[in-house]
Amino acid sequence: MTELVYIGEEVLPALLRGLWISLILILPSSVLGFAAGVLVGALRVYGAAGFRWLANAYVLIFRGFPLIIQLYIWYFGLPRIGIYMSPYGASVMGFVLCSAAYHSEYIRGALLSIRHGQMLAAQSIGLNRLQTVLYVIMPQAFRRALPGCGNEIIYLIKYSSLAYMVTCIELTGEGKILASASFKYIEVFMIIGAIYLGMVSIATWLLSMLENHLTIPGFERYRT
Amino acid sequence: MPSPTPVLAVENITKTYGIRTILDGVSLSINRGEIKVLIGPSGAGKSTLLQSINFLIQPDSGTVALEGQTINPHDKKALCAYRQQVGMIFQDFNLFDHLTALGNVEIGLIRVKHMIKNEARDRAVTELERVGLKQHTAHYPAQLSGGQKQRVSIARALAMEPKVMLLDEPTSALDPELIGEVHSVISKLGEAGMTMMLATHQIGFARHLAHEMIFMENGRIVEQGPPDVILDGAARQRTREFCSRISGAGEKR
Amino acid sequence: MSQGMTAIQEGFWYLLEGAWVNLIVVVGALIFGFLLGLPLALGQVYGGKILRRVFAVYVWFFRGIPLLVFLFLFYFGLVAWLDINLSAFTVAVIVLGLISAAYQSQTLRGALLSIPEGQMKAARALGMSDFQAIFRVILPQSIRLSIPGWSNEYAILLKDSAVTYALGVSELMSRTNHVASRTYQHLYLYITAGILFMILTYAGTRLMGMLQKRLTVPGYTR
Ligand SMILES: Nc1ncnc2c1ncn2[C@@H]1O[C@H](COP(=O)(O)OP(=O)(O)OP(=O)(O)O)[C@@H](O)[C@H]1O
Ligand SMILES: [Mg+2]
Repeated sequence: MTELVYIGEEVLPALLRGLWISLILILPSSVLGFAAGVLVGALRVYGAAGFRWLANAYVLIFRGFPLIIQLYIWYFGLPRIGIYMSPYGASVMGFVLCSAAYHSEYIRGALLSIRHGQMLAAQSIGLNRLQTVLYVIMPQAFRRALPGCGNEIIYLIKYSSLAYMVTCIELTGEGKILASASFKYIEVFMIIGAIYLGMVSIATWLLSMLENHLTIPGFERYRT
Repeated sequence: MPSPTPVLAVENITKTYGIRTILDGVSLSINRGEIKVLIGPSGAGKSTLLQSINFLIQPDSGTVALEGQTINPHDKKALCAYRQQVGMIFQDFNLFDHLTALGNVEIGLIRVKHMIKNEARDRAVTELERVGLKQHTAHYPAQLSGGQKQRVSIARALAMEPKVMLLDEPTSALDPELIGEVHSVISKLGEAGMTMMLATHQIGFARHLAHEMIFMENGRIVEQGPPDVILDGAARQRTREFCSRISGAGEKR
Repeated sequence: MSQGMTAIQEGFWYLLEGAWVNLIVVVGALIFGFLLGLPLALGQVYGGKILRRVFAVYVWFFRGIPLLVFLFLFYFGLVAWLDINLSAFTVAVIVLGLISAAYQSQTLRGALLSIPEGQMKAARALGMSDFQAIFRVILPQSIRLSIPGWSNEYAILLKDSAVTYALGVSELMSRTNHVASRTYQHLYLYITAGILFMILTYAGTRLMGMLQKRLTVPGYTR
C-alpha cells in the first residue's frame, strides 16, 4: 500500500517531469541540428573555398570530440572565459552543434551524389540558382540523406541522457535521484530504459513512415 | 534581298580548357524554321558548342544573339529569360529524377512561367500527348524506357515554347530499337516548323531532316552546305572520309 | 593561457595514462562485442524463426536504450543485486561490449547477406556441410567486408568510453575533471582531452585501414 502511494506521489511525477525535460531537449535539438546540418553540408559542397574549409574543420572537430566533452566545454569550460550558460542551454547547444556535424556528412554525400546533368537541365529551362537548389537539388538530396539523418536523430534521443552529466535533470537524471533515494536501481532504470525504448521505437516508426511517404521509384536503393 | 534577322546568331565563340582549345572561333546563324545538323568526329566540340550557346558552359569569348538581341550572360535575369526561349535536349535526358513525367514538364511552367497549377497541368498533359506519352504522365523517370525519357525531355523543352531547340545527340544513349520513336518526334517537330540545331552521328536521319549540315572538326567549322552536297560531294577530303566511314557503319536509313 | 599550458604540462602523463585506459576498454568491448555479435549475426541470417525473433529483440533492446542508463543499471543495479564483486572498469567493458554486439551483429548480418547465393551453392556442390560452407567460405568473405564497419564502431566506442567516467572509471575524461578541479583550467584541459580522443580515433582508423589493405583480395575493393 505504501508502495503504491510512493509510486503515485514520488515516482510518477518525477518520471513525467524527466520525460518532459527530455522531450524539450530532444525536439528542438533535432530540428535545429538538422537545419544547421543542411546549412553546413551545403557550405561544404557549394561554399566558397574559405567557408568550405571552415565548415570542414568544424565537422572534423565536432565529430572528433566525444559529445560528453563538448557538453563539459560549454557548461564547465566557457565560464572560465566569462560565458555562463544554463544547464539546459548548454545541453541544447551541445546537441545542436554536434548533431549538425553528423547531419552535414549525410547531406554532403547526398548533394555530391546528384548528377551534374540535373543542374544543367534546370538551368536550360530557365530556373535560377535558388530555384534549382529548392526545387531540383534539395528534394533529391533530402531523400538520399533521410536514412542517415534519421539514424542521427535516433542517436540524439539516446545521447540526450548525457544532459544529466551537466546537471540538466532530465529522464535519466530523475531516475538517478529516485534510485539513489530508494536503492531500487534495477526497477527504476528498467522503467527508464523502457521509456527510452519507447521513444526510440516511436521515432524509428515515424521516420520509416516518412521514408515510405517520400519514397519514389528510382530512390529506393538509398533506404537502409 | 535583305536577309531576315536570324533567330539565333553565334559569333566567334571560343572555349579553352587549360591549354586545349575546344572551340576555335565558331560562328553560325540559323533562321526561323531552319534545321541545321552538326556532324563531326567525337571530340570535335559539338556538345561544347551547343552548351556554350545556352551558356551552360561559359565561353571565353564570342557573342550569342537571339532575334538580334545580344545576350549578356552576366545578367542573371536576362540569362534565365533567354534560356526559356532556347530548348535544350541532352544526350542522357537529364530528367528530374524526383518528379513524374508530368512534374518534369510542369516545373518550368510553374516556376519559370508562373502559370497557375491547373493551367500548367493541362498544358503539360497536352505536351506529353504530343510526344505520345499520354499513358505515362504519372510515371517516374526510373519507370520509363530511354526512348520515353527522351520524349519527356522534349515535351519539357517544348512546354516552354522555345524559339529554337538545341538537341545534343538525342538518340545516342538509346538502344537501337528505341531510336525510331524519338526520331519520329523530332521529324514531326521539323515538319511543324520548329527551328532546330541538332548534333548527331545518325547520318541517315540527318540527311532526311537537315536543311543544312555543318561539319566540325577540332573546334572549327570545316564545311557547311546542303546535306546532299556535304554527304556525297564534299569539297574536302576529311569531310568525305568522315562521311563515308560513318555511313558505312551499318546504319539503317 | 600560460596557466592553462602549465596545467596541461603537469597533468600530461596522468592524462595519457587515462587515454590508455580508454583504449583498453574499447579494445575489450570490441572483442567481446565481436564474440557475441558473430553468433547474433549468424542466428539472424541462418537461424530458425524463433532464434531470429529472439536475436532481433536483443538488437532492438541494446540499440534502444542510452549507454548511461545501461551503465547505471548494471553497475548500481545488477552488480549489487547479484551480489558479485565487479569493478567499474569491468562493468564498462561488459556494457559497451553488449551494446557493441548489437551494432556489430547488424554490420556482419549485412555483410553475410551481401555474399551472393552462388557461393553457398558452390560450397555445397563441393560436398561441404552447411557449417563448413559458412565458416570456410561465407565468413572469410563477410569479415573482410565488415572491416569498414569496425573502424566506425571503434570510433564510436572510443567516444562512448568517455561516458564510463560516470561510474568512476579512471579514464581520460575523469582524469581531466580531476586535474581541472585542481588547477581550475577547465577549458584548456577539456580541449586537450578532446584532441587526444581525436588522435586516438585517427590512429585507430588508420590501423584498421592498413588491416583492410593487408586482407584485401582482388575483387574486394569497396
Ligand atoms: N570540362 C572539360 N574539361 C576539359 N576538357 C573538356 C571538358 N569538356 C569537354 N572537354 C574536351 O573537349 C573536347 C570536345 O568535347 P565535346 O563533348 O564538345 O565533343 P563532341 O563533339 O560533342 O564529341 P562526341 O561526339 O563524342 O559527343 C573533347 O576533347 C573533350 O575531351
Ligand atoms: Mg557530344
